[in-house]
Amino acid sequence: MEASDKPHASGKVPAGDTTQRVGVEAIEARGVDVEQLVEKLIDAAGAEFTTYYYYTILRMYLAGEEDYKEICEDARLEDRAHFELITPRIYELGGTIPYDIRTFADRAGCPDAYLPGTQDGSKAHVRDEIVADATPAAILEVLLEAERCAIRTWSEVCDLTFGKDPRTYDMAARILNEEVEHEAWFIDLLSKERDGVVRPSGHFRRGEPGDAPYSKNRGFYNP
Amino acid sequence: MGKTFTVAFEYPSGETEEVVVGEDEYVLAAARRAGLVLPSLCEQGWDLACAVQVLEGEWDNGDARRYYAEDERAGFALICTAKPLSDMRVRTHQTAAMRSERDANGLPTPRGT
Repeated sequence: MEASDKPHASGKVPAGDTTQRVGVEAIEARGVDVEQLVEKLIDAAGAEFTTYYYYTILRMYLAGEEDYKEICEDARLEDRAHFELITPRIYELGGTIPYDIRTFADRAGCPDAYLPGTQDGSKAHVRDEIVADATPAAILEVLLEAERCAIRTWSEVCDLTFGKDPRTYDMAARILNEEVEHEAWFIDLLSKERDGVVRPSGHFRRGEPGDAPYSKNRGFYNP
Repeated sequence: MGKTFTVAFEYPSGETEEVVVGEDEYVLAAARRAGLVLPSLCEQGWDLACAVQVLEGEWDNGDARRYYAEDERAGFALICTAKPLSDMRVRTHQTAAMRSERDANGLPTPRGT
């Protein structure tokens, strides 16, 4: 068979060359600034990771509000799933997450989701102290704004990759689906808790905590 | 609306547009209401996407989630969370310049915006 019968069997990357990636070349050829995209993905991964960390604290302070606590736990575990989903893509594109976790947290694309009443995390911990300002409404506000930042982030990644980089787009769209659901949950809960009104999310509980129906449907890849 | 100020936005192209901003209003929100298209991302005063260089005037960036005295001294504002304290003239699209200022001062910043 003539080589021309298989037009995708060769290209700009020489056969056997492991210093270049066709998976990168192909999306660059379609107009993606891969260097910029990788930087955005690292910022976004940092935001998902720090959110996972802070939600770990926030959910503890929803004691007695078991419905809020469970939903915060779903969002927490799903944000971790997002971190797990993004990281392989960063490496596929030739990037790396920072070697120092402090660098990683500092460059996160969204603000730290501090527990209210802790002076942006600087308050010294005193054993069994009551954090008076950590009310359910204040915590739900923190959760809501964290999700909103995530929606803006993933919408931008979708915009940058649509029609050019189907793999990153698919990942970003999956994450965005869940972030939009998270926002709807926290609007629902905050409206009731703070304002005494009903603004339904349209959702019911996950099948299991942190189910991640969009971003964790391949257990081997993202266990 | 109480007191108002005029904010002039100077684009990289050299074009300028003016917007009236209330004293309790964020500059970006007023600009959007007036139909200006300006960059932003987190919209919480964190990621520098909405950074401007303030050429004239005073502002309050106290609502930003991460904003340093060095940023203010260097004349950078994050307009998603900045309120005017006077009439202002700003140069838009200054994310890279503000990141350079953060780097020069050893201060944290996202790298992808």
